[in-house]
Amino acid sequence: MIEERQLLRDLRALGDVRAPTRVLDRVLNQLELGDEYALLDTLLGPLYVAWNRDGIAAVMRTSTGEAFEERFQERFSRAVRKAREVPCDLGDKFDLRGLSEFERAVLLKAREIPRGETRTYGWVAAQIGRPAAVRAVGTALRKNPVPVFIPCHRVVRSDGQLGQYALGGTEVKRAILEAEGVATERLLRRASA
Amino acid sequence: MSEEHGLSARLADDLDRHFEQLVRMFQDRLYGFALRLTGSPQDAEESVQDAFVRAYHALERYPHEQRQTLQLKPWLYRITLNVVRNRVRRPVLSAVTVDGLVGDRLMDDWREQPEVVAETAERHRELANMLRELPSRYGTAVVLRHVQGLSYAEAAEVLGQPVGTTKSDVHRGLRLLREALARQPMLAGR
Repeated sequence: MIEERQLLRDLRALGDVRAPTRVLDRVLNQLELGDEYALLDTLLGPLYVAWNRDGIAAVMRTSTGEAFEERFQERFSRAVRKAREVPCDLGDKFDLRGLSEFERAVLLKAREIPRGETRTYGWVAAQIGRPAAVRAVGTALRKNPVPVFIPCHRVVRSDGQLGQYALGGTEVKRAILEAEGVATERLLRRASA
Repeated sequence: MSEEHGLSARLADDLDRHFEQLVRMFQDRLYGFALRLTGSPQDAEESVQDAFVRAYHALERYPHEQRQTLQLKPWLYRITLNVVRNRVRRPVLSAVTVDGLVGDRLMDDWREQPEVVAETAERHRELANMLRELPSRYGTAVVLRHVQGLSYAEAAEVLGQPVGTTKSDVHRGLRLLREALARQPMLAGR
């Protein structure tokens, strides 16, 4: 007769099974709770934008919708599907799950900077009560999952240089700031004055 | 347990926002449960998807207070059990299914002890088949208690019967399994 303990061990092992990853995506899609995306016109031209019931979740520049789906899955570990219709207003809520409290604080502070104006990394750090964390502010802004919508491009270096940008290099940052009416050359002159 | 309780409270506050977390928390367990009852990965997958969708619509209807105090685990197992029982049975093409157990965990050890791994996989496959051949009353009780690790009280709640009845069904199921194994000396001797 097989040993009782061995039988119970074997039974327990039968429970050690993983559900296929598509279960989650299919359930959320069926209930229309998952993420959807569309190619939208922005100040920087057409960008892929994803949203869900929490708000706007991702903004990326990719060559195709398939490439966007792949990058979204890589970054957020969940699927995104092409929207059948695009809401006329995506609202001003954001899905910032997966970010630390510090990173969220940085992004929400950046949101307060009015269009056509800029602030420095140091200003953001001081405003959120972490004046020494200037570098970490830069890192948090680079991780912004929703650039353009949360205007991390309005945060620049104190020496007047534009600094890095989540959606591309300095040139992209310059383009969007100028589209918003910021004279980027003047930033440099003002800093060196 | 407290994690599940916390989730009930969050679902009560905002169902849409926290439902994904419920799926993530329970999908492996419910899939494993359905797989042991059906023997078919495809049936198990569809059953679990269906169970979650039903759970969502039920939660939508429940008043706030009921959502808040809901014991999620037995409730979800019960929904899954009902879905599996109500599904039109499809013929299973192959009695031997390769599932996550053989595919994931055992294969990691394959290079080190191939014979042992093969034997263990074979024993588990046979045991899974025997479980499904038990009268469903006993098989389901054994799966809930010993495969899924629910307490007797939780299993009794899933089955909608007294704890005493559940205990006796589990014991009867284990006895039937041991007898079936004893009839297969190749497996029983290991």
